[in-house]
Amino acid sequence: MNQKYQIHPVLKVIFTFSLVILLSFSHNFAFVMTILVYTLFSLSLMKGNQILAILKISLWVSLFTFIILLPSNKYSSVMITVKVFTTVTTINMLPHSTKWSSITGAFKFFNIPDIFILVLDIAIKYIVMLGNHALQLIWALKLRSIGKNRDKYQSLSGIAGNLFIKSVEMSKEMYSAMECRGFNGKYITLEKKRLSMVDLLYMLIHIGIVILFFYIGKIVE
Amino acid sequence: MHIPDNYLSPSTCAVMSAAMVPVWVVSVKKVKKGITKTNIPILGIGAAFSFLLMMLNIPLPGGTTGHAVGGTLLAILSGPYAACISVSIALLIQALLFGDGGILAFGANCFNMAFILPFLGYFIYKFIKDRIPTEKGELFGILIGSYVGLNMAALSTAIIFGIQPILFKNPEGIPLYSPYPLSVSIPAMTIPHLLVAGVVEALFTAAIFSFIKKVSPGMIYQGREQKTKAVYALIVLLICLTPLGLLATGTAWGEWGVDEIKDVISGGNQPLGFTPQGMENGFTFNSILPDYTLSGLPDIAAYILSAVAGTSIFLILFKVIAAFKKETFDKNSKLPSE
Amino acid sequence: MIEINDVSYSYLGIRALSHISIKIEAGEAVAIMGPNGSGKSTLLKLINGLIFPDTGCYRFQGQEITENQLQDPIFAKKFHQKIGFVFQNSDTQLFCADVYDEIAFGPRQMGLSESEIGKRVNDLLELMQLDAFHHRSPYHLSGGEKRKVAIACVLSMNPEVLVLDEPINELDPRTQRWLVDFLIRLNKSGKTLITSTHNLELVPEISTRSILFDENHGILADMQTQKMLLNTDLLIKANLVDEYYHIHDGEDHVHFHDHIF
Ligand SMILES: Nc1ncnc2c1ncn2[C@@H]1O[C@H](COP(=O)(O)OP(=O)(O)OP(=O)(O)O)[C@@H](O)[C@H]1O
Ligand SMILES: [Mg+2]
Repeated sequence: MNQKYQIHPVLKVIFTFSLVILLSFSHNFAFVMTILVYTLFSLSLMKGNQILAILKISLWVSLFTFIILLPSNKYSSVMITVKVFTTVTTINMLPHSTKWSSITGAFKFFNIPDIFILVLDIAIKYIVMLGNHALQLIWALKLRSIGKNRDKYQSLSGIAGNLFIKSVEMSKEMYSAMECRGFNGKYITLEKKRLSMVDLLYMLIHIGIVILFFYIGKIVE
Repeated sequence: MHIPDNYLSPSTCAVMSAAMVPVWVVSVKKVKKGITKTNIPILGIGAAFSFLLMMLNIPLPGGTTGHAVGGTLLAILSGPYAACISVSIALLIQALLFGDGGILAFGANCFNMAFILPFLGYFIYKFIKDRIPTEKGELFGILIGSYVGLNMAALSTAIIFGIQPILFKNPEGIPLYSPYPLSVSIPAMTIPHLLVAGVVEALFTAAIFSFIKKVSPGMIYQGREQKTKAVYALIVLLICLTPLGLLATGTAWGEWGVDEIKDVISGGNQPLGFTPQGMENGFTFNSILPDYTLSGLPDIAAYILSAVAGTSIFLILFKVIAAFKKETFDKNSKLPSE
Repeated sequence: MIEINDVSYSYLGIRALSHISIKIEAGEAVAIMGPNGSGKSTLLKLINGLIFPDTGCYRFQGQEITENQLQDPIFAKKFHQKIGFVFQNSDTQLFCADVYDEIAFGPRQMGLSESEIGKRVNDLLELMQLDAFHHRSPYHLSGGEKRKVAIACVLSMNPEVLVLDEPINELDPRTQRWLVDFLIRLNKSGKTLITSTHNLELVPEISTRSILFDENHGILADMQTQKMLLNTDLLIKANLVDEYYHIHDGEDHVHFHDHIF
C-alpha cells in the first residue's frame, strides 16, 4: 500500500508529461527505444494485476496503430507504433500509481480552476455507477422484450433520459452532502511534503532523460 | 474522433492547445457567472454521459475512431460553455485513464469535440429554433444541429490529420507523423460519420431531449437570443467553408491548410522555437503553384468570396422557410401559450 | 438552539412545508414522523442550510440562516461543522475513493493537520467497528456498512447536532439494534439528535419528543413520543397507520433502553 504512493504526485505529473512531450518531439529511434525500455522497467515494478490492466490498453492501441499504418511506410509504422505504445503505457501508469485525490491536488498545484477539478471529480465518480446502471437497464430491457421490437429504441432513449435526470438529482444531493461536510467548491492543495530519497532519484532519472534527448539530438544533427 | 499522441506533430498540438486556452477560460468564466452552485454537478453528469457515449466507438482507418459525442445535447441542456467543459473533462478522463486520445493531442481533440461540436451544434439548433418556433422546428434544429456538429468535428479532425504529411516530413520526404494525406483522411473520417455516427448522434440527441423536455423541462438551458445572434454569421460562414473544403480535397485544400497553419502559428502566442524546423522540411508552398484560381484572384480571396455567397444563400433559404412556416402557423393560430 | 418560525417551502411549485414552527433545545432527542412525502426530508435539509425558507425564518443558535449568510465561507464552515447530516440515501453521501478519505473529508475541509485527522479517523473506525474497511471503496460496501461510514463521516467533524434522515431503514435487525444503541449513547454524551423515521417500534428509544407531519405538509402534533404512540387516532389522522394498528402491550414495547457502556 505504502509503496504505491511513494513518489510525490506533483513530480509524477510533471515528469510523466515531460516524457510524453519528449517522445512526441523525438525522431531518433535510439532515444525512443531508450524510453521504451525505461517505461517497461517502471512497469515491471508494479503489481501484476496493474501491469495486466495497463498492458491490455497499450497493446490493443499499438496493435491497432500498427495495422493502420502498415500500408504507409516502414518509418511511420514502426516509429509511431513504438511511440504510441510507450506513451499510452506511461500515461496509464499515472492513475495506477497515484491516488486520485493526489492527482486532483496536483491539478490544483498547476492552477487548474476549481470548477474543472470539481466537474472532473464528479464525472469520475459517476462514470462507474452510470455504466453499471445502464448495463443493468439494458439487460432488463432485453429480458422484457423478447424478439424484434420496434419500441426497443424508444425505451432505450427513455432509459438514457431517465438515467440522466436521476443522476443529475443524485449528483446535486452529493454536492449538498459535500457542502454539509464543509466543502465550498474550492479544492485544497496537497499538503506540503518533504521530498524523499525516492523522489530525488526519480527526479535525477528524468532530468537524465531530458539531457539524453538533447544529447542524442546533437549527435544526429 | 480521438487523435492519439504521435499522430500529430508537437507544433500542431501546441497550436491547437493554444487555440483552446481562451475557449476554456471564457467557458469557465461564463459558467461560473451563469450557474448556481447547486447546478455544477450537472456538468459532471454531462461529462460522465459523454464519456459513456464515446466509449461505444468503432475504429476507423487513419488511426482514429467513430462515435457519438452528445456534445450538442449537453449544449442544449446546459449551454454551450458548460458543454465545452463537460466534453473536455470526458476527453481528459479518456486520455488519462483509458489511453483513448493523446495527452499532447488533448488540445486538438478538445478543439474538435469540445469546441466545434457543441458550439456549432448549439448555434445551428438555436438558429433554426428561433426562426421556426414550433415543436417541429425545434426537433428539426436538434437533428440538424447535432448531425452537422458531429460531422464538422469529424471533418476538422480529418483536416488536422491530413495536413501532417504535407507539413512534417524528414529530409528524405518521409512523413514524420500521421502519413496519410487529406485525400485519404477526409473520406476515411467523414464517410462513416456522415453515414453512421452522425445519424446516431442526431437520433440520440433528439430522443433524449424530447424525453427530458417531457419529464423535467426545468432542466433545459435558456440561452439569450441577443448574444447568439452575433455568432450566427461566423457559424454560417463555417458551415459554408467546410463543404467547399470537402470538394476541394487533395493538393488545393492542402495548400490552403498550410497557409492557414502558418497564420495560426504566427498569430498565436506560442514560442516559435520549434515550428520553423518542422515547417522547413515539409513546407513547400512556393514550389507548388495553386492550380485553382478565380480569374486572377488569390486563392484565399476566392475562397472567402464563395463562402460569403454560401452564407447568403443559406440565410435566404432559412428566412424563406421561416416566413412560410409563420404563415401557416398564424392561419392555424396555434401558437403555444408560453 | 434551533428555532423555526412559520416556515413554508415549495420545490418549483410543489408544496413541501407549510407554516412550520418548531423549537429544539440543545441536548434534546427529537423524532420527525409523518407519511411519505409529508416533508420530513425537506425539513431536515432546511435545518442543515441546504434549502432556505420561502417565507418565515430559521435561526440556529440565535443566528438567522439565509442563503447570503452561507455564501460567507467562514460562516458556512462553522455552521456545517456544528450540525451534521446523515442523508436518507447513503450512496449520494459517499464520494471518496476509500473509507479513510471519506471520513477524513470533513476534517480536511476544516483545515486540521493530517496527523490530527489520522487520529480522529482511526478512533472512529475503531468505535464503529469499521477497522477492516480502512482502504475499501465506499461503493462496494453493503447498505449497512455504508450507513455506518456515512455516520462516521459526519461524526468526524464532531458536530453538536446530529440530523439523521431515516437512518434505520434497510438495516438488518442486529445492525438496527447496534445503531439505536449508538444513537442513545451519542445523545447521552450531550449531542442533540434529530431523526426522521417511520419505525414506530424504535422511535421511543431514539427520541423523547416527536413531531408529527400530516399529508398537508403541516405539523399535526408535537408531543412526548410515548404519548403519541398511544394516541392511535392521531396516527391514523396523519395517515401513518391504518385502523388495524394497535400496540400489543404498551408496557413492553414502549420503553427506554438503559445500556451500560
Ligand atoms: N427535489 C425535489 N423536487 C421537487 N419536488 C420534491 C423534491 N424533493 C421532494 N419533493 C416533494 O416535496 C414533498 C416533500 O418531500 P420530502 O422528501 O420532504 O418527503 P418525506 O417526508 O421525506 O418523504 P419520505 O418519507 O418518502 O422520505 C413531496 O411531495 C415530494 O414529492
Ligand atoms: Mg424523506
